[in-house]
Amino acid sequence: MKKSLAGYFVAGALLATLATGCTSRPNAEELKQLEDLKAEITSLERQIAAKQSEAAALQKAIADKQAQLAQCEKEKALVQERLKGM
Amino acid sequence: MNMKLMKSVILVAALVLFVGSTAAAQEMTKDEWQKQMTEFTAKRNQLKSNLTAVQAEVDKLKKEDAALAAALKKCNDDLMALVGADAAAERAFAAKLDEIDAKINELSRLSNQDLWARKGEIDDVQKMLDEVKKNKLSALSKYYERIKEQQNRLDALKKTLETAQLAMTYTVGTWAKDRDCLWNIAKKPKIYDNAFLWPKIWQGNKDKIKNPDVIKKGQVLSIPPKADLTKEEKAAVRSYWNKKKAAEQPAAAPAKQ
Repeated sequence: MKKSLAGYFVAGALLATLATGCTSRPNAEELKQLEDLKAEITSLERQIAAKQSEAAALQKAIADKQAQLAQCEKEKALVQERLKGM
Repeated sequence: MNMKLMKSVILVAALVLFVGSTAAAQEMTKDEWQKQMTEFTAKRNQLKSNLTAVQAEVDKLKKEDAALAAALKKCNDDLMALVGADAAAERAFAAKLDEIDAKINELSRLSNQDLWARKGEIDDVQKMLDEVKKNKLSALSKYYERIKEQQNRLDALKKTLETAQLAMTYTVGTWAKDRDCLWNIAKKPKIYDNAFLWPKIWQGNKDKIKNPDVIKKGQVLSIPPKADLTKEEKAAVRSYWNKKKAAEQPAAAPAKQ
């Protein structure tokens, strides 16, 4: 009983080895190509994040300037009105 | 014994082969590599396209920001042109306002009596304030509001002065009982504690006292805050004594005839 169990075990292992041994695999150059591609993606993601931050900062600066400009135009009208009364 | 050893060797070898084949099965196959290459290439291309789009957005925003900065500068320049001032004139104007602020702060800290003694300075500050109000720079909101606040504070000081003046009064008693005359009233410790300041009470109540030698019982006299006699008060005293002398002289004059 013990003998037959060991036999099955050995046979299974040999079969698995044969099955994996026959599959084709990428060579070192191809693997490097894949790694380079991954690195390029990471770099692009970083660049996009940086640009998005820059865009957000610019949008804030623009909003501030728009508010300042509106205030300045309002002030101009007020000053003109006050100067008339002087 | 040999048989047992043989079995053990076979078992270990089978185990090693099994583990080795499992690890090999976990390595990437060519198909998987190809699949990942395709997937990542597509992702890279998409990211490149995204980067181009974000860059274009940033460039557009930069242009917009620059245009707004220019518009803002023009608006500020227009504003300064409206009030006809340059940076140096504005600095001088702001310094004048600081000076007014300092004066008002100083006067605000004074007691009512000291404030009365320096009431002329309130008028001086009012003149300074009137002067800055004529400057076109005062139309700028930042100065306009400040000047308005300064005027309010100065008005409050004037009000304090008026209230202080109204608050100090003395009701004249009788000569028989109180020995009340301007000299004695001024001498009272609660009034001036200085009889020589009597002209102050006289001049402060010109509407009620025509002749300083005559005050009536029940008259309510306002008492100006204690201070040295002013030029006007001194002149009034001189005039009072001259009139007194003149009134005494007619008796001797006819002798000259």
